[in-house]
Amino acid sequence: MDVRIEGLSKSFGTNQVLKSLDMTFPERQFVTLLGPSGCGKTTLLRMIAGLERASAGAIYFGGHRVDHLSPGDRNIAMVFQSYALYPTMDVGANIGYGLKVRGMPRAERAEKVGVVAKVLEIGALLARKPRALSGGQRQRVALGRAMVRKPDIFLMDEPLSNLDAKLRTTMRGELKRFHLDLETTSIYVTHDQLEAMTMSDLVAVMNQGVVQQFGTPEEVYDRPANLFVAGFIGSPPMNFAQVEVGSENGQPVLRIAGRAIPAPPQFDLGTAPRQLTLGIRPQDVRLAALDDPQAVPGTVWITELIGSERLIEVEIAPRMRITAEVKSNVRANLNEALAVAFDASKVHLFDHATGLALPRR
Amino acid sequence: MTARDIAIRLALYSLLVAVTFLVCFPLIWAFFTSMKPKDEIFLWPPTLWPNTWTLENYRALLVGRDAYFQAGAASNGTPPPSAFFLDWFWNSVIVTVGTTVITTIVSTLAAYSLTRFSFPGQRAVPYLALVGYMVPSIIFVFPMFLVMVDLRLTDTLLSLVFGYVCITLPFSMWLMWAFFRGVPIEIEEAALVDGASRLRVFWEIVLPTAWPGIVAAAIFTVIVSWNDYLFGRVFMNSMENLPLTVGVMHFFDGTHVDWGLMMASSVLMTMPMAILFMALQRHLVAGFGAGAVKG
Repeated sequence: MDVRIEGLSKSFGTNQVLKSLDMTFPERQFVTLLGPSGCGKTTLLRMIAGLERASAGAIYFGGHRVDHLSPGDRNIAMVFQSYALYPTMDVGANIGYGLKVRGMPRAERAEKVGVVAKVLEIGALLARKPRALSGGQRQRVALGRAMVRKPDIFLMDEPLSNLDAKLRTTMRGELKRFHLDLETTSIYVTHDQLEAMTMSDLVAVMNQGVVQQFGTPEEVYDRPANLFVAGFIGSPPMNFAQVEVGSENGQPVLRIAGRAIPAPPQFDLGTAPRQLTLGIRPQDVRLAALDDPQAVPGTVWITELIGSERLIEVEIAPRMRITAEVKSNVRANLNEALAVAFDASKVHLFDHATGLALPRR
Repeated sequence: MTARDIAIRLALYSLLVAVTFLVCFPLIWAFFTSMKPKDEIFLWPPTLWPNTWTLENYRALLVGRDAYFQAGAASNGTPPPSAFFLDWFWNSVIVTVGTTVITTIVSTLAAYSLTRFSFPGQRAVPYLALVGYMVPSIIFVFPMFLVMVDLRLTDTLLSLVFGYVCITLPFSMWLMWAFFRGVPIEIEEAALVDGASRLRVFWEIVLPTAWPGIVAAAIFTVIVSWNDYLFGRVFMNSMENLPLTVGVMHFFDGTHVDWGLMMASSVLMTMPMAILFMALQRHLVAGFGAGAVKG
């Protein structure tokens, strides 16, 4: 069942957290709402769940308007960040509560709970209370509670953020599996871009109550729509530098820190002088010889080893630094004079005033 | 364990035993005194362990009334105070139970709404309630007595219930408020998503989770209403309508004190509280809700 929202707005007092959102979450897709805290992603999820009332706009599930329905009447399931297990009930009762509320007889309930518990490998824990479970087990119970009801829409609010790093990696894979097995539309809220990139069919990058870009993980990574998305997606973050369009020998160039580098061919820039913001991912920056005419010289500011790679931060102008991600066997000394060169095909350009990505050829 | 550790531990336990004895001594003394015949109570040097054991005091309190009426009420003049002991006892039980039921229900609902719904004054109410509780009840008792006179409720158990509800409700509500604040709202939201109605969520999810808080608030109310002297003294007149605390003061008759009856009453008064605490202490253990959310 697809989820469509139209002109959805939400204000808390004078604080507008969602600004007239229009979106469609396609059927059976895993869609992630990604953004920094306070961007409105959790509010949007809670409005889809019915836990929060919209200030304006409408929500449709499969073409039917649902925003007047209470959460229980929307046939959704939700996994909360805190798991929100019922502390006084054992695991079996926790998973089966939704069925009990719907009046399913005890025997049938026990059978369904048993099946789900088996899938989640928590069959041995059914008689335990939540307080006697580990974080990962609680997470599974919360998932079980959502799965057992065969919901139309599966909502998850940062479900992995309370787990340790190792468990998080395992659960990421499992969540994706559950989504495929359940064949539901899943909407997943996170501030962790790794979760968004690895699990999603579609990612909606949000900031300040506005969807900045809605597309596949590849699209938001390779073709960020604006400076915010470009800076938010990717680790280490994209480098930005102020550049000016110019021309040398009739060819368009970008002037950066006193050097002119050839304008990337994917953009139709012309030669009229104007200010732009250049973006380049550290993975697409390489170290070059100082006399390389297409490279920008600078001095090494700091180096950081991050396992198989090394980050080398080069200051090319006062307070303007470019990070290059190189193999860990490449070494550089502090304050050493170095040049950085950009892979022209990987250069992103943004309008200096609006922050929007420039159209490509 | 080194010799030093043992010495420290020994000293610590000796101290604990001494403190325990100090705390329990009045109770022990009351119990033994209640078991002594009148002449032994004033024996010098005093005996802790009774030379002669007697249930005379308890008999006077528990069957005194029957004995008085069997002997022929008219010919004996006014009945002795001990004949009213059972009346007093039941008065206290009725008033305490009534107060506790009302206070607990009202304070639970009030505290829940204070933490879950937003309305003007929502933040101020709990603090005002706490301030209200800090005002000594003797300031309220006379104005309230005048109100009771207007309502023609003086000398009724209902007036006591009203009085006790007034003095216990604010603190009880504050206690529940603090407790509900610790119950994560996600639990209720999860139940709403599971399809439960608001009322069902309150009944099946919130109340069981809040049970330790409810028990604590109820015990507070029981203690206050069971032990109150002031309201009973001011609101009540008739011998048969007094609560226990006020009633037993009649064992002082101006010239002498019947310590045997007094101590037997004390023991009988303490008993229900002791039983209550023993039955409920399991529920008073904090951290009942731990584990529902991240922990």
